[in-house]
Amino acid sequence: MDNKLDEGRFRELLVESDDLQSDAMRGARRDLNAYVDAAHEARHESRRDLRVGGAIFGAGALGIAALAFASPAMAESAQDIMALQTAAGLENLAVFTYKTALTLDFIGGKSANGVVKAFALKTMAQHEEHGKAFNAAATKLGGKAQTATDPKYTPVVQTAAGKIKGAVDVVSLAITLEDIAAETYVKNVGLVSTSDLRGLFASVAGVESQHKAILLAVQALLKGGAPELIALPPDIAKLPAAAGNVGFPDGFFPTSMAAPVAQGAVK
Amino acid sequence: MSRRRNRETPEMAISEYELSSMTSELNMLHNETFPSVHKELDEFSANLAEISRKPAGRRSFLMGMGGVAILGTAAACSSSNDKKTAAGGGTTSAPSSAAGGVYTGDLKVVALAAALENLAVTAYQGALTKAGKGELGKVPPAVATFITTAMKQHQDHSDAWNSVLKKANKPAISGAPLTITAGQVAMLNAAKSVPDVAKLALALENAAAETYTFAAINVTDAGGIMTAATIQPVETMHAAILSFVLGEYPVPVSFIGTSNAVQPSALTA
Repeated sequence: MDNKLDEGRFRELLVESDDLQSDAMRGARRDLNAYVDAAHEARHESRRDLRVGGAIFGAGALGIAALAFASPAMAESAQDIMALQTAAGLENLAVFTYKTALTLDFIGGKSANGVVKAFALKTMAQHEEHGKAFNAAATKLGGKAQTATDPKYTPVVQTAAGKIKGAVDVVSLAITLEDIAAETYVKNVGLVSTSDLRGLFASVAGVESQHKAILLAVQALLKGGAPELIALPPDIAKLPAAAGNVGFPDGFFPTSMAAPVAQGAVK
Repeated sequence: MSRRRNRETPEMAISEYELSSMTSELNMLHNETFPSVHKELDEFSANLAEISRKPAGRRSFLMGMGGVAILGTAAACSSSNDKKTAAGGGTTSAPSSAAGGVYTGDLKVVALAAALENLAVTAYQGALTKAGKGELGKVPPAVATFITTAMKQHQDHSDAWNSVLKKANKPAISGAPLTITAGQVAMLNAAKSVPDVAKLALALENAAAETYTFAAINVTDAGGIMTAATIQPVETMHAAILSFVLGEYPVPVSFIGTSNAVQPSALTA
């Protein structure tokens, strides 16, 4: 398929992207470590308060108060772990979906658009990194890593995968998954208990929404019968006017499709 | 008019009608998201109004934000090499925030956000003006649509942040009172092509996205956190499309950072 892709230039861009990626990963790991330290510190403080309360006041009123103080902290920590596991489950499902899609000839084979194929490969790798980051945080907080795919959406993907007839179907499915992930993480920013974890979720939400933006643009061009315009760089003179804004439908990112915190928690 | 456009864009392989109908759906979706956002903002405003009556005591996040860079002129380029230049060589060093300014604590971040959004509106409006004068060469229809829609969304963001300031009895931010504004306007004035403007816009969108990531981490009010969280992805989406238009890889990093966030101390109001 002629898609104007300059393979050399594209490889260059991927290398540049990897450079940026390495910088970002260092920052993300630093943020993640800070978050885990903060969460451990909060747990330690809770236990210390509990010990002090118990030692001095036995089962008296302040001992009970210390228990009451400790409980919300532990509950917040438990919610944080569930949110991280649910996020990891969504990432695992995204990886599974892209991996499956890449086995299809029109996504990962000879008839594939080179840009779409490269995008699928890179996006899959980014989801793997997100999954690792979420699981690393969950395990450092004392939770288990979520190695399975999201329980609610896995059957949806499996059903959809059986009905795929072309690239449009794959892109449509990917948009749904990216949207759910991004909406979930945006919502989680407001639910988790520490600023560092808010940063982690916000940081990943911004990336999933970028995946969604590009996929929306790709979907529009595929549906419009113009796959040749999916190129890097694109022939922007030939892009129709409406292609300029199809990638960002909302002025404020919605959260109505966000997965509940416990949806993908390890039982 | 459509005949003229057809002459300018010889191969309109995709149905304009089909994509236009998608755009109408997008506008509907956009309007549907407003009520929930306004609810967040109303709660945020109520909390901030209460806080603004108390002595300032929640500014620690502004004091302890070492390592946050500012948007320098070189940041307009987004390759890794250029990024290093920008990180190390921002040309507009931000002065320290004056103690006891009009905006403190979370409100300073709100004011910064409004100013950044106004700067984006200014940049896009300026681009349209230059395009109208023929100073950017031939402007593809998709680029014009991008600019118009992104500008409207930035205006909506600015209005949202300013509504918080007004409800907290603080003056709304008009214009872009930022230390970086003069440099950005100079770059816009110097732009001679669509890619020049796109690079400038990409840098602004990336800086805004990182600033909102920073805000989600450092703002203390739940409503403010969520407002920043719901705007940040919109800016990253703008950035992705701009990167694509420029022929750059559209999702270059796996984690949105904060090292290029605009500092609250860059606010001059």
